[in-house]
Amino acid sequence: MFDATLPSQQRKIRPDGLLLFGLLALMVLGAAFIYSARAAHEASALIAWHKQLHFRQIIWYGIGTLAAIIVCLKDYRTLARWSLVFYWATTLLLVAVIIPGIGAMRYGARRWIDLGFFQLQPSELAKLAVILALAQFLSRPQEELREPRTLLKAFGLIALPFLLVLKEPDLGSALMLAAPGLAMFYVGGVPPRFLKRLIGGGAIFALLLVASVLFAPPKWQVLKLEDYQKRRLLVYFGMNYAPANATPAERSRALADQRRDSYNVEQAMISVGSGGLTGKGWRQGTQNALGYLPRGVAHNDFIFSVMAEESGFVGSLIVLALYATVLFVGIRIASQTRDRLGKLLAVGVVTLLFSHVFVNIGMNIRLVPVTGVPLPLLSYGGSSVICSLVAAGLLQNVHLHQKSI
Amino acid sequence: MMPFPQIGRQDPPLRFIALALLAGLVVLLAGLWYVQVVSGKRHLEAQQNQSLRTLRVPAVRGQITDRHLQSLAVDRPVYQVNAYLDELRPYFQQEYRRRRPPGKLTRAEVSALEKQARFNTVSNFVRQLRLPVPMTLTEPQLHWHYTNKLALPLSVVRGLTPAQVAVFMERGGAVPGLDVSVASARTYPQAIAAHLIGYLKRDDSSFEDEDSFYHYRLPDFVGRIGIESLFDQNLRGRAGTRTMLVNSLGYRQSEHMSTPAEAGHNVVLTLDLGIQRAAEQALASVRPDVEGAVVVMDPTNGDVLALASAPTFNPGDFVPRLEAEAWDRLRDPQLRPLILRATQERYPPGSIFKIVTGLAALEAGRLNPAEMVPNPGYFQLGSRSIKDTAAPGNYNFRRAFIHSSNTYFIHHGLQTGPDRLIEMGERFFLGQSTGLLPGQEVAGQFPSPTKLREGWAPGDTANLSIGQGPITVTPLQMAVMTSAIVNGGKVWWPRLVDRIESPENDAINPVQQFPAARLRGSLNASQKNLDIIRDAMLADVEDPEGTGRRAAVLGLRIGGKTGTAEIQRGGRTVDKITWFVSFAPYEQPKYVVVVMVESGGSGGLTCAPVAQKIYRAIQQLERSRSAPAVTQVGG
Repeated sequence: MFDATLPSQQRKIRPDGLLLFGLLALMVLGAAFIYSARAAHEASALIAWHKQLHFRQIIWYGIGTLAAIIVCLKDYRTLARWSLVFYWATTLLLVAVIIPGIGAMRYGARRWIDLGFFQLQPSELAKLAVILALAQFLSRPQEELREPRTLLKAFGLIALPFLLVLKEPDLGSALMLAAPGLAMFYVGGVPPRFLKRLIGGGAIFALLLVASVLFAPPKWQVLKLEDYQKRRLLVYFGMNYAPANATPAERSRALADQRRDSYNVEQAMISVGSGGLTGKGWRQGTQNALGYLPRGVAHNDFIFSVMAEESGFVGSLIVLALYATVLFVGIRIASQTRDRLGKLLAVGVVTLLFSHVFVNIGMNIRLVPVTGVPLPLLSYGGSSVICSLVAAGLLQNVHLHQKSI
Repeated sequence: MMPFPQIGRQDPPLRFIALALLAGLVVLLAGLWYVQVVSGKRHLEAQQNQSLRTLRVPAVRGQITDRHLQSLAVDRPVYQVNAYLDELRPYFQQEYRRRRPPGKLTRAEVSALEKQARFNTVSNFVRQLRLPVPMTLTEPQLHWHYTNKLALPLSVVRGLTPAQVAVFMERGGAVPGLDVSVASARTYPQAIAAHLIGYLKRDDSSFEDEDSFYHYRLPDFVGRIGIESLFDQNLRGRAGTRTMLVNSLGYRQSEHMSTPAEAGHNVVLTLDLGIQRAAEQALASVRPDVEGAVVVMDPTNGDVLALASAPTFNPGDFVPRLEAEAWDRLRDPQLRPLILRATQERYPPGSIFKIVTGLAALEAGRLNPAEMVPNPGYFQLGSRSIKDTAAPGNYNFRRAFIHSSNTYFIHHGLQTGPDRLIEMGERFFLGQSTGLLPGQEVAGQFPSPTKLREGWAPGDTANLSIGQGPITVTPLQMAVMTSAIVNGGKVWWPRLVDRIESPENDAINPVQQFPAARLRGSLNASQKNLDIIRDAMLADVEDPEGTGRRAAVLGLRIGGKTGTAEIQRGGRTVDKITWFVSFAPYEQPKYVVVVMVESGGSGGLTCAPVAQKIYRAIQQLERSRSAPAVTQVGG
């Protein structure tokens, strides 16, 4: 107050070291195990080193880190002012991706925009956009949050990208938008009454959905899910594909389908489980090398299976500890920051990362149905890596630019 | 380090979020603990189940050799070209793409095309080897192998000669996915002593204290009869296990020998290959499809030197499998080639039993060898007249023996009495098996003392005296009998296996020696009486009037006794079993040769010449074997 330069010099805040350590360690593990997941295949030896996925992942790490540093340069309050612009730009991309011709069709879904050198996944951007926009929106005085109109607007902020992502279809990513949203509502001070209704409504909806998929005859299913989504649910709940009145031929076809669909999950379980306490050693995992774990997913959605098989429970513990470090540093940052915007941002980022970790690892051990949710920083993929690092950058930003007491 | 002591103290919602995250992480941790540690073993088993394949690899079977270590049965290496499908897989795909017509194909068309592509690839590569042997693989075989045994190499060209292997080695490097491998096949290089050696039958199953579960098994065999069967355990060794890692498509990824096979042990027989061959050839020379047997024994210790049976078969025909035609021949109800006639069939001894009758009478003290017994040309027993092939006249022991006079021996048999005759027969263990080849031996028949009390008539004694009636023997029993006469009364347990030894011959696998000269019993006969019989046997061969004179060999003093047993049915002679039992040399008997021919003319005409051929061969063998020994001493 007396001297403008003195306090800032004394209170010079450095980036949170523990957070940096956690992120760096995760990136090292990610590169190492993507290498392991790919190197087992004969074909990978023929690919030039700079085209190999572990190397490309390192490039993504580099780009992501750069983006995170850039994010940290400006005070998050400044960034938040641009949040709506970012939000609507992303929404535009989400609309674009579901238009045939712009969005590239893969595995029966339009989730990517092919930029030639890069497959952009707008749903990843949407996760950041929602957190930023929602934090900005909810950081208004708490009293305003009691007004239904404001609440409805806040709800709409999540609902719009949620529905668009659902349309791709990508239920997993859509749900990844909902989890941080709810947490931010809660921390932001939205009245519990409203939250209860929201959660209750969501739960009833989900229950009805699952029940209708599992038990209702086809004609009664008002709520339409994509075929593969239905199957994943059936696999998860261990239900028979064949309807009760199926002919033997239908039954055997259904059984064959079921085997194929439950294959990934079974093989992931076997991979994780066969790792045992200490694992088989880096690059010694056979599930991936012998192709039991499908090659298409071993390095991205199922990278955790590769890690768990090769490093065992000890390795799983280390991975979880690293994520816990990142997450709880995030919580600490949220608790230390003095303004609501910073806290909301931190909570949003933390819950976003957490829900990814939970769903991805959970699906490897059959806690959660299979969804295409990547494991932050470990799964191969540019969009995911960059968004995760930018999200972590936002955390650092909140930490660096927290308001002085 | 406690970095988060104060989290959300003043901020309940944040605190709740933190706790929720913690709970979520704990749930994950618990889940991982359950999957990786609690049920880790089950998952590891599941993983190994789906990716490990075990292959049973039979051991090299031990050799069977004669006493001079000449191979009678041996595993010979067989070279074949194997295709390794895992290495050929990219070429299958290439070929498939080349053949695939544009447009959409049904699933059936695709799989048919894939089948063709695979077969074409393999046969093209085999053609590139330019081996002079044709490919033995057919398309259905390849397809069967592909669907059932993908992880195993597939034999595409069988039966390569070493020269062809060399050709392959020159060219093989250029052709991917093909390699030469060595398998072993049982061979019987001498094709001799088939009944004794036995044969093999395909049987891949696991044996005791082996792993019982294998995904795949290489062909294995088990011995059926003879030594192959009796010593199967020793010969077969221990099968090994090869473990293969297969990928999700079932292709072999890598393999290693988890348990190497332990080679089987060698069985060394007492058999002498030279004598065995001579015996088989001599027997076969009687007539085509002769049915008979020869036993050559060392009377000093009971070692079996040759054991021949005709008709015989080739044990090699059974490996890898017996052709239907060969099987029909083996099942011929008349010839019954699988029967070992030296031990497995009962024959009436006929006149050769007069040796026992004579010895019993001599031992009883009722027979004076010089005393003459008149022979009117038949023997009148009550109302029954038994004809005598010996001319009418007066006979002493020697003359009666060499003319095989029935009258003389019936006379003395009745004098001696049936209990003494039977008691003497029992000293030779007649009616009891020798234990040489369990399962391939019969005991023969011999009246027991109890039989005497149940309606025994003098006619029975008369029959027994000349080896007819309720008595049957095996040629092997007769060899044991003859040995006992010439070795001073020692009845041996005959011996066929000398020792079992491991190919390594180390401390862990010591040689298992079967003792020679195992005494079974003694005749307790006086040497004088034994010598009387020995001299009479010598006379039978050396006297120009002797029935066994056709066995005589220059330079070897042979003693023998002929026999011709008539098989009568309804009072008519339907068949004759002809015999010749003999020993040599007279001075120091080293060989006992027993020849038996079914449906022969007479012992002297049919069997004595066979024995003569065998003795000549023995003479030759002894000369050739002693000759190098002399040079050795000289050098």
